[in-house]
Amino acid sequence: MILVASLLALAVLAALSPLLARVLRRETGYVLAAGFLAVAALLLTEAPAVLDGRAVEASAEWLPSLGVSFALRLDGVSLVFCLVALVVGALVMAYCCRYLGEAEARGPVYPLLVVFAGSMVGLVLADDLVLMYVFWELTTLCSFALVSTAGTAAAGPGRQALLVTVAGGLALLTAVVLLVVATGTTRVSEILDDPGAVLASPLAVPVGICLALAAFTKSAQLPFHFWLPGAMVAMTPVSAYLHAATMVKAGIYLLVRVSPVYASQDWWTLLLLAVGLSTALAGAVQALREHDLKAMLAQSTVSQLGLLVAVIGVGTSTALAAALLHTMAHALFKATLFMLVGIVDKQTGSRDVRELSGLWRVMPFTAACTGVAALSMAGVPPLLGFVSKEYLFEGFLSADVLPWAGPVAAGLAVAASALTFAYAARIVYDAFGGPTLQARLRDPRPAFLAPAAIAAVAGLALGPAVALFDPVVRSAAAAALPGGDPPEVYFWHGFGIELALSAVTVTIGLVLFLARDPVDAVLHRLPDPWGHRGFDRLHAGLLALGGATRPLDEAGGRAGHLARPLAGVVVLGGAGLLAAGALGPAAPRTTDVDPGEWLLIGLLAAGVLGAALTGSTLVLVALIGVVGLFVTLWLLLAGTVDVGTTLLLVEVLTTVALVLVVHGAPSALPRSGRGRRLGAGVLALAAGAVALAATAASTGRRERSGAGTFFVENAEALTGGTNVVNTVLVDFRGVDTFLESVVVGVAALGLLALRGRAPVRHGLPDPHAHERSSVLGLEDVVLRVSLRLLVPVMLVLSLYLLWRGHDEPGGGFIAALVAGTAVVLRFLAGEPDGVRTERGRALLEPRLLAGAGTLLATAVGLAPVLTGGALLTPFDVPGLSAVGISSALLFDLGVYLLVLALVTAVVRSLTPDEADPREPDHPDHPEHPAAAGRAEPAAAGDGSAR
Amino acid sequence: MTTPIVVGLLVAGGTYLLLQRGMLRVVVGFVLLGHAANLLLLAAGGPALRGVPFAQEGLDEGTADPLPQAFVLTAIVIAFAITVYLLGLLRAGRPGPEDGGGTPPPGEEDAAAARGGRGSHRADHRGDPEAEGWT
Repeated sequence: MILVASLLALAVLAALSPLLARVLRRETGYVLAAGFLAVAALLLTEAPAVLDGRAVEASAEWLPSLGVSFALRLDGVSLVFCLVALVVGALVMAYCCRYLGEAEARGPVYPLLVVFAGSMVGLVLADDLVLMYVFWELTTLCSFALVSTAGTAAAGPGRQALLVTVAGGLALLTAVVLLVVATGTTRVSEILDDPGAVLASPLAVPVGICLALAAFTKSAQLPFHFWLPGAMVAMTPVSAYLHAATMVKAGIYLLVRVSPVYASQDWWTLLLLAVGLSTALAGAVQALREHDLKAMLAQSTVSQLGLLVAVIGVGTSTALAAALLHTMAHALFKATLFMLVGIVDKQTGSRDVRELSGLWRVMPFTAACTGVAALSMAGVPPLLGFVSKEYLFEGFLSADVLPWAGPVAAGLAVAASALTFAYAARIVYDAFGGPTLQARLRDPRPAFLAPAAIAAVAGLALGPAVALFDPVVRSAAAAALPGGDPPEVYFWHGFGIELALSAVTVTIGLVLFLARDPVDAVLHRLPDPWGHRGFDRLHAGLLALGGATRPLDEAGGRAGHLARPLAGVVVLGGAGLLAAGALGPAAPRTTDVDPGEWLLIGLLAAGVLGAALTGSTLVLVALIGVVGLFVTLWLLLAGTVDVGTTLLLVEVLTTVALVLVVHGAPSALPRSGRGRRLGAGVLALAAGAVALAATAASTGRRERSGAGTFFVENAEALTGGTNVVNTVLVDFRGVDTFLESVVVGVAALGLLALRGRAPVRHGLPDPHAHERSSVLGLEDVVLRVSLRLLVPVMLVLSLYLLWRGHDEPGGGFIAALVAGTAVVLRFLAGEPDGVRTERGRALLEPRLLAGAGTLLATAVGLAPVLTGGALLTPFDVPGLSAVGISSALLFDLGVYLLVLALVTAVVRSLTPDEADPREPDHPDHPEHPAAAGRAEPAAAGDGSAR
Repeated sequence: MTTPIVVGLLVAGGTYLLLQRGMLRVVVGFVLLGHAANLLLLAAGGPALRGVPFAQEGLDEGTADPLPQAFVLTAIVIAFAITVYLLGLLRAGRPGPEDGGGTPPPGEEDAAAARGGRGSHRADHRGDPEAEGWT
């Protein structure tokens, strides 16, 4: 419960922070810091059990069908990382109160930092691989968003950081999927309890490599390190919190977490040692070559992370304990240093050591804090950094993967640490030592300095008092590597080899610091190890590849675009037919052929051929209607009453819509060239042949489907309806129907948007309505009068079809199309928008119909959910069931309204504009190019419209 | 056995029309391909099963499969929605009076360009050979 409560508390804090920021402005950070500490205290209430080696667990179902659960688990390792995230988070939040400006404080920084803290805590608590992956990516996204708050300068580096870490996230996802395949579970603790199951699988090595890749990208290891210095464009609190203390430690966490499985593997040890130590050295060298304080710290972080990765690779209990202790020590001193550099930046306006000098005289407290934190980083006794470095050396010395591996690794670690000493000394000396150039500077207000000062003093006090960490580190190391024997954590190790190594480190470091000019001369001759140029080249190459495909895509214009997928269909269909080979004979029943069918096929063929070859707009529209009617007949012959009826109505409406659109168009269709006609003909014949063969091969070889038989047998008992097709639509597959109706509604709104028409307001006549209708020149009095009688009959018929649709042919689709036809007929008779009164116009507003239909269908669908039923379960409607109105009918009414919305949208949006044919630009004008070459332009144009 | 012929006919006709000049033929070609797809879907239920699926008719060996019929019914309505939407696009691409009736008089060109978006875009299209015949 505590675990869930902690995450919930952080989520609530994130949601509240924008509101808090309105009231408290930048002081919000103190409330958030208190919140972080409270959550840490909450987690610490479970500490006795955790320190005792018993993990605390909480779990809830999340995706039971995939076996994925919302499982949290607090053990020693999680506790260490939670405390780092929350305590350093509290310090940074308190620091933000004075660092952020008022405007920034009300911006997205606070909420994002809290969301990040929650993601980080979730990541280290997650006991489910999928959950862990989700939190892992959330930290990446928070990082990107926080970097982006730095403005346009952050766009390039932010994108780079995002791409690198997201690539690592994909590697983690791959590892998660492979792990689930290998072990059959998503529970992290179950997988770690049985390392043999993973190692016995052939996927063990790929999984390990993917996990290592994920960790290397997140923790900025070679060759993916370059994103971290780039991310320094972010504001200092973000750098201190995400890019020094926590997010970059997510990779460290992952490596520690999977140690029970991989620590025993020699390839794992060698991989981590090689990558980690080379990163440690390269980062330290680069830190010495920088002049910007923040850049130096960033390179230093890369270097320290390298040491951590390498020592985790060693994989002994001692090494893992050292990694955990150093994780805490590093988070503390590095966050402190970042905060102090932020202070220097704010006070002096610069972070460049070439411009800073002698600040200790004017900013003594800042100088003292920086000195303490830097000494901790340099590993000088008695600070916390010294103790953790001693343990690192001990950890490296315990490496036994190869003969001499321990001494070699320790030697390289000493080299990296000596470089660390040198750049730590430079940071302090270059900024604070030397002659004072800017005499008027001062220390910041105490409130600004306090968080960094507290952290610096803590680093000083916790060195001698490091035994306080003993229970935490030992329980964490025990959890990280079950069965190991973690060393006791205490301050003074006596005069052993580790102390000797520390002495060597400090000595070499001093020499490197003092012999500054020769060192710089050597360093600047070293090749630049930084790989962002490689990334940039890869990125540019990918974009260029995309650009190179463009001309291919543009070739051939619209027909070329369409021809490619069509040709693809032909190839795929042909390949499929070849692959299927000879099929057995069709069921004997399928050979029945009604002689009438051949007549129908002949007429259909004539219609299609005519439509394909005609050059006249009018003939094309007419033939397409005729073909539609033949298809309708075909459907009716095939025993499909509802489908046939629907298509009949749709064909009528399609033809009307076509006529509306071609009104005023040139009567001649544009002529295609001979080459195009030939190519299109060849492709058309091939596509037709493949479609014919595929249909023949794939149908008529089985009996009615099981589902279909079930529906026919059980529809009446289960739904009360006897029209099985309609029960399938509104009951069995209601969700399909609902979503498809929504598509229809969206098309209606899209049509209106294309026309760019505002909705009609109540009582306000649409000034253009009459013109839109009369422009067709339809003032047919006979039609109008007869429609006065016909339309009410059609509307009654429509409602009757809707009502009986559940049992007899009919239903929402057909009924709405009948009503729509009535509207269209009225429109054709010259009534504006197909309605007679303003009230009717307001009622038949497509937006209103679409909205009402969607709401009604949604409400009917969701109502059973309230009582615990499934979506769209039929239910008795109170008061209406007695008069034969079921929930299915109400749902069908929603469908009805959506379809009616489409038809009314057609009438309102496809109508011609009140164009003036006297304008030369009008297509009917004799001088218009489209009209040129026509024998009787005006007459033909009018003819096409009527 | 006749369904494949009808499907083949409609696919051939639809494909040919899709590849011709002018948007109207494309829309019509789309309609024909829609018919073909619907017939194919329906044929999946067994082209020889032709009894109407009503519970009061009972289930015999010739009763048609209601499931593909339901699919096709919604498919027809959706195809109609897409057809009219295509027609809307076709209509929107047609030069009309709301575009200012053509090229703006000299001096107004800059203003029209500044307004950006639809007006100037369409003006570009008028020079495009593909867009020349909007039908």
